Amino acid sequence: MKDSVMTSEAEKAETPPVGGDDRRSFIARFSGWWMGWGLVSGYGYFASMIVRFLYPSSQSENKNKSWQFVAEVNSFKQGDSLTFISPAGDKAVITRMGMKGSEADFIALSSVCPHLGCQVHWESSNNRYFCPCHGGAFDPKGKPTAGPPKAAGQSLPHFTLKVENELLYIKAGTRSLV
Amino acid sequence: MGVIGNWFKERLPLSGVDLAELTNEPVPNHMRRWWWCLGGTPAYLFVVQIVTGILLAMYYQPSPETAFESIGRITNEVSFGWYIRSVHKWAATLMIAAVVLHQMRIYFTAAYRKPREINWMIGMCLLLCTLLLGFTGYSLVFEQLSYWGVTVASNICDTVPVVGSTIKQMLLGGEAYNENTIPRFFILHAAVLPTLMVMLIGLHIAILRLQGISELQFEDEPEAGPKHFDFFPDHLYTELIVGLVLMILLSVLATLYPAGMGTHADPLTTPEHIKPEWFFYPSFLWLKWFPGTFAVLSSGFIVFVMFVWPFIDAMICKITKRDDIYVWIGIAGVFMLVGMTVWEALH
Repeated sequence: MKDSVMTSEAEKAETPPVGGDDRRSFIARFSGWWMGWGLVSGYGYFASMIVRFLYPSSQSENKNKSWQFVAEVNSFKQGDSLTFISPAGDKAVITRMGMKGSEADFIALSSVCPHLGCQVHWESSNNRYFCPCHGGAFDPKGKPTAGPPKAAGQSLPHFTLKVENELLYIKAGTRSLV
Repeated sequence: MGVIGNWFKERLPLSGVDLAELTNEPVPNHMRRWWWCLGGTPAYLFVVQIVTGILLAMYYQPSPETAFESIGRITNEVSFGWYIRSVHKWAATLMIAAVVLHQMRIYFTAAYRKPREINWMIGMCLLLCTLLLGFTGYSLVFEQLSYWGVTVASNICDTVPVVGSTIKQMLLGGEAYNENTIPRFFILHAAVLPTLMVMLIGLHIAILRLQGISELQFEDEPEAGPKHFDFFPDHLYTELIVGLVLMILLSVLATLYPAGMGTHADPLTTPEHIKPEWFFYPSFLWLKWFPGTFAVLSSGFIVFVMFVWPFIDAMICKITKRDDIYVWIGIAGVFMLVGMTVWEALH
């Protein structure tokens, strides 16, 4: 056994490496790369499983929009407003601006500030919606008038409304059960 | 005693002399001055946070239904609960202040320069971890500030191009604040960030020991004579005294200004007056001044510049052939941060 090792050592010393690399170092390098690839792909797949575990499943966030009843049209006087919260958590402030009896009388604005998501509230003394977090302000139609939303041109999002048989409906998010 | 000593010596082949040699390092003379011991202060406060945090976790229940009530119970019913919670809160405040002061001392003495660039960057990671611990900490109370703070922070993530939305969803465990959110923040606050900090502090101190503390020569110090003193026991005594003074200070603050309870979180109403904790005043003001994406990306850029500052400073020195420009930049930066904090506090 010892002799054969010595022989191979002697042979190696006599034979110069071809192309600067011999078979043994090639196998060592190849197996090193192969093992490295195995480690990276194995732990990489494990990491991707962790990310997918932490990422909320799309099923629980399944959100569709549908028409939802708000109130009887006649229960609103001009200038009246109410806050509507849909089953999916959409928050809207609905205000009556006219008395024609159609959806054009109403405006439904999201009460979520488009800057960083705080709740705006109506300031009747200043005739504006105001966000207390970073001082954003919006006119009664939701257009930005001050603060970061004005600089970025971010209006309060509108919801679509319709009137049927003197009943007011809003198109807002629902959460499906399946 | 001899029998017990021998029993240990047979199993742990380490004598007291060996231990003293291992832990000892020559400490530069400038560290005899109290204001130059700021590195040990946040480390001591971190230990206080771990101890009080473990105690608070015995009673805290991380869910939207129970979080606020469980903190109310800790504050009002559990024996010395008010004290442990208040010490935790005040130690967090002091820790952030101490980390900032320590970083300022390193900056203004240019101790980040070659070969200490890597330790500066580890220090920056520790600063960010400390701020994140502060933020995730007050998010757990589930009072109004907690809820709206998390909402704003997650929407800040959302403004980051490409990956922002994914980060927001991972942070909240959904599209908006939901039942998964508090457990995630609790895990970040009580497990992930402290573990990361322990590892980073270990690395910070190991590199410090390998390189030695940067040395300063004061004008009133004699040129001749020893330049160093022993870590053990001289500097250890200093740190023990600092720790004792901090405990007294924490107890006084906790007693005079105990941690209170705000209003329970209300997802439908953002309070008329809402502000983050004082250490986020500059970024709060920045967000008021500039529109969303620009404010967030520019803040990220400032943090990046701070992170790689040792290399930028080296370039400035090379180009201008002056090595004191960093002082003026530092003074401007400190004035800006302090000015923004005071401005926001007064408005």
